[in-house]
Amino acid sequence: MNPLPLLPLLAVGALLLSGCKTTVNTVENAQKQGQRQMIPDARVITDGNLARKVSIVGVNQTMTPGGMLQVQVELLNQTRSLQNFNYRFEWFDAAGMQVNSLSTAVIGSAIEGKESRFISAVAPTPACKDFRLKLIEN
Amino acid sequence: MKKTLLLSVLSAALPFLGAGCAGTGAHYVQTGDQHNIVSLGQINIQDYIQAASDMTGKLLASGALDRVANPPAVLAISRIVNNTGQQIDTDLLTKKIRVSVLESGKALTTTTLGLGGSAEDPMAKGLQQENEFKNDVKTTRTPDFTLSGKIIELTARASNTRQTTYSFQLSLTDTKSGLAVWEGEKEITKQGTRSSVGF
Repeated sequence: MNPLPLLPLLAVGALLLSGCKTTVNTVENAQKQGQRQMIPDARVITDGNLARKVSIVGVNQTMTPGGMLQVQVELLNQTRSLQNFNYRFEWFDAAGMQVNSLSTAVIGSAIEGKESRFISAVAPTPACKDFRLKLIEN
Repeated sequence: MKKTLLLSVLSAALPFLGAGCAGTGAHYVQTGDQHNIVSLGQINIQDYIQAASDMTGKLLASGALDRVANPPAVLAISRIVNNTGQQIDTDLLTKKIRVSVLESGKALTTTTLGLGGSAEDPMAKGLQQENEFKNDVKTTRTPDFTLSGKIIELTARASNTRQTTYSFQLSLTDTKSGLAVWEGEKEITKQGTRSSVGF
């Protein structure tokens, strides 16, 4: 069979496929003024598939003017396609007891291919000293 | 013979077993999580939770409630306008905010002072007034801030795809100056095809 007639079709197909997956280019200040207070984190990966699509780059925290713990997590989509995911922050007091509040609600989000984005949350009370972030595939 | 009889009894009993194990199909799900139903035509409970959680976090992080002479601040809920095409109870939003603000320790909410003079708790208001009359002392604390806002619905359609955006807007106003000291907005957008539109 002569494959030549199929070549235009293959070319169109390749163009279509490349157009379906969009990735993100970024530009930022090379000499950053803001210094993030990064913290060492412990990760438990049970969904390796999600860990590739929505990977955790780093975690930093600060205190708000009102004395509440604020946490920011940088995520990176290592694939080339849009990924939907859910996340939830859980908060713990100085005794390690979980503090239940609205802040523990599940939030749906999305991250574009090769995009790096931040998610953050503020602790519900000044008594919260620790946190845990859960990422769930949508 | 015995085998045939046993098989007959089992096959007669099978439908009843299946019916007993099938159940009604109803089951519990966690309120506000990813398994909740998503509707285009109405605000779902997870939308209220997400909006309240987001805006409360921003309010607490701003420190606006800390800037009072006698902390904790006193917060009263003012008018929340419903600018959607549906009948909603704005308490689904404001109660969550009040609970979070109260739990944070940053502010106290009043249940004896409401819009138009109405009290959320008429009995508490009556007892407070009685107490003030008996002791000839004014114990009512004027709210330091009021929280007002609006919920707006925006719809869009492209061929079979429908999109609905709910915009939750809140303002925190200093009652002494009449100025807004904090403003917050959370938009939740949902998209679906015509077949996924729920009633």
